[in-house]
Amino acid sequence: MLNNVPASSLLKIALHKHYARNQRWGFMWALWTAILWGAWYVPGTALWFERPYVDISVNEQSLRLAATAVMTWIHAIAVFLFLLIWNMALGKVKDYGRTMLSFNKISKWYALASLCGGPLAIFGSYMAMGFIGPVFAAISSLFYPVVGAIIARLWYKEKISKRTAIGMCIIIFGGMVIYGPSIFGETGASNPNAWLGYLGGIMSAIGWGSEGAVAGRAMDVSDPDVGIHCRFSFEVVFWGMFILPALAIFTDLPIKNLIVETVTHSKAMLWIILAAACHAYCYTAMYKSLILIGVGRGEAIGNLYAVFALIFIAAFTLQLPQWYFIVGLFLTVLGSFVMFSEPAESVAELRDNSDAKVY
Amino acid sequence: MKLHHKGFLLVSISKSRGVWDQQLIEKVFTEYNESGDFREKTIRIALDELAAAGLIKCTENKLETINGKAKLLFKYQISDFGISRMVDTGLLPP
Repeated sequence: MLNNVPASSLLKIALHKHYARNQRWGFMWALWTAILWGAWYVPGTALWFERPYVDISVNEQSLRLAATAVMTWIHAIAVFLFLLIWNMALGKVKDYGRTMLSFNKISKWYALASLCGGPLAIFGSYMAMGFIGPVFAAISSLFYPVVGAIIARLWYKEKISKRTAIGMCIIIFGGMVIYGPSIFGETGASNPNAWLGYLGGIMSAIGWGSEGAVAGRAMDVSDPDVGIHCRFSFEVVFWGMFILPALAIFTDLPIKNLIVETVTHSKAMLWIILAAACHAYCYTAMYKSLILIGVGRGEAIGNLYAVFALIFIAAFTLQLPQWYFIVGLFLTVLGSFVMFSEPAESVAELRDNSDAKVY
Repeated sequence: MKLHHKGFLLVSISKSRGVWDQQLIEKVFTEYNESGDFREKTIRIALDELAAAGLIKCTENKLETINGKAKLLFKYQISDFGISRMVDTGLLPP
């Protein structure tokens, strides 16, 4: 039958299929980001209920922060190892080496992204989980796509179509409906250090939003699988060579003991490894989606993590979701469909380039 | 030290007035001593990513039968934005 179709039509069909496939992959990676990110809150919170962390009272503010720093570092090392396996399987380890070594021009952006994502976002999120709870930790990051999209728009002129903006608003509103009422039940006035949890929540939203936009600069010219590996390499270095040694030298916090106790408690390590597996591949999926469908779209679809976080938390705590969960679920899914309905060809080129000069 | 893959692709595209993806794949295979369908797909994905980011633009496309299978081929050219990003990232001299 296709023999009767003119060559130009065949080419048109093939082109449409090509762009549609890229768009589908971009959104699929973004959806994987959401699923794995949602799953991350379960082991991330469970970690606080294992020794040595469970022994630290909520009133021991500085010790709890030090514990957060230690768990974030060990988590980063585990993520690094999972990514090493990934890149070995894809045959990209050599490219990782080449990208890491061009620090001045390329990997410095990944170093900056790791500062946004690690000491700001992941540390902030562990703070929010530890000082308040997983549901709050999840909602507090929901606004990160807005931060990411605004930076991407102002800095390197990424297009934000009206439909994308509407979709983003619906998703964020959906997240607020899901989590808003829960905050009041979870915060607890009895916790004098709850403000640290709030601060952690803000840090995670700003951190993840800016990380996406900063990493986007480097991903322009490098591979996303390699890029995320570089980003976590720098995070391991920042915590392991600068922040934790500084805390150990200049304060009397038991950093060394916390590290030793964490790695010698198998249950704590099990949760860290599970959290790291979720995070390693959630990040890989996020970086892959950002490059195909843009920072604004990728992060907004990734925002469905709120729905998955609630499902996973409900499954593990055996507490059924409230009615507003269903409303929120409907809104977030609707928002993603509004974004997904954008023509594939318009997603194919993400930037306004006519006046582009990026510094 | 050899350039990373995407850097090599950008440099190769910037040196020509327009180059087909099939030629780029052969260049990468020779430069990095690689071969196979998987590596070819990886390079095509990298080109799609560079085009989506606006660093390169597709100037022509065609359907060609290769090994009995219809394949969509693209001819790429570096964009002004791509040149500015290459300068920023040390792939081209300022």
